[in-house]
Amino acid sequence: MQLHHTRNGDVLIVRPLEKRIDAATAAEFKENMSNWISAGNRRIVLNLKEVDFIDSSGLGAIVSSLKKIGTEGDLVICTVKETVMSLFRLTRMNRVFDIFASEDEAVKSLSGKA
Amino acid sequence: METAANITLMIESRIENVSLLGGAVRGIANALSLDELSCYQLELCVVEAVSNATKHAYHSETGHPVEVDVLLFQDRITFKICDEGESLKPAKVRPLRFDPQKLETVPESGMGLFIMHALMDEVSYETVGGRNILTMSKYLRKREHPV
Repeated sequence: MQLHHTRNGDVLIVRPLEKRIDAATAAEFKENMSNWISAGNRRIVLNLKEVDFIDSSGLGAIVSSLKKIGTEGDLVICTVKETVMSLFRLTRMNRVFDIFASEDEAVKSLSGKA
Repeated sequence: METAANITLMIESRIENVSLLGGAVRGIANALSLDELSCYQLELCVVEAVSNATKHAYHSETGHPVEVDVLLFQDRITFKICDEGESLKPAKVRPLRFDPQKLETVPESGMGLFIMHALMDEVSYETVGGRNILTMSKYLRKREHPV
């Protein structure tokens, strides 16, 4: 799975370039995120602009990344399509993650966080 | 009520193949003029069911058949997901309970059945002659056009 990543200050911005995070790609997604977190990235923005399908395995991989960061940082999400957002609402994950309309807002929310 | 149309899709139990079925279901939903959200939800439920069959009924072992019968009635669409692997235990169907404020309680797996039950109008599971059949139906509300 192709994951584009850039940095804005000490915030890592990860943008999947594929349309699906599902059972076939979740393990690779999780491994990449885990490597970035292990390398010291504790403030991460996940930009879901290109993603139009997430299933429970994909959602689980995103939750796993948040848990790996723990309380020492945060993983926030931005530019979520309405269909994918419906899954976050259905599973109440919209109450677990901070979700922003734009990447700028997401980065701003993490700036200054310990 | 009579079936208006039906189609049978089949894949080998390989997780990489699940998105092919998902794409086919999305195509069928699009052809029925369903709205984008309904198309996503139907694809999601079938993908969850087929992933479960592949991962749990066949324990991620490749080389087994997973069949999806799509039955289109006047008022609803029904999917029958069939496999010949291990039967699902009914006790595994459980509500999604966690505290969003307590990260350790947030689930990373086990959400598939909850999603299917939440989005579909009818869900049932039976095993007949060694064949597991998960049947899911959704009543259709087609996109309304102004008169």
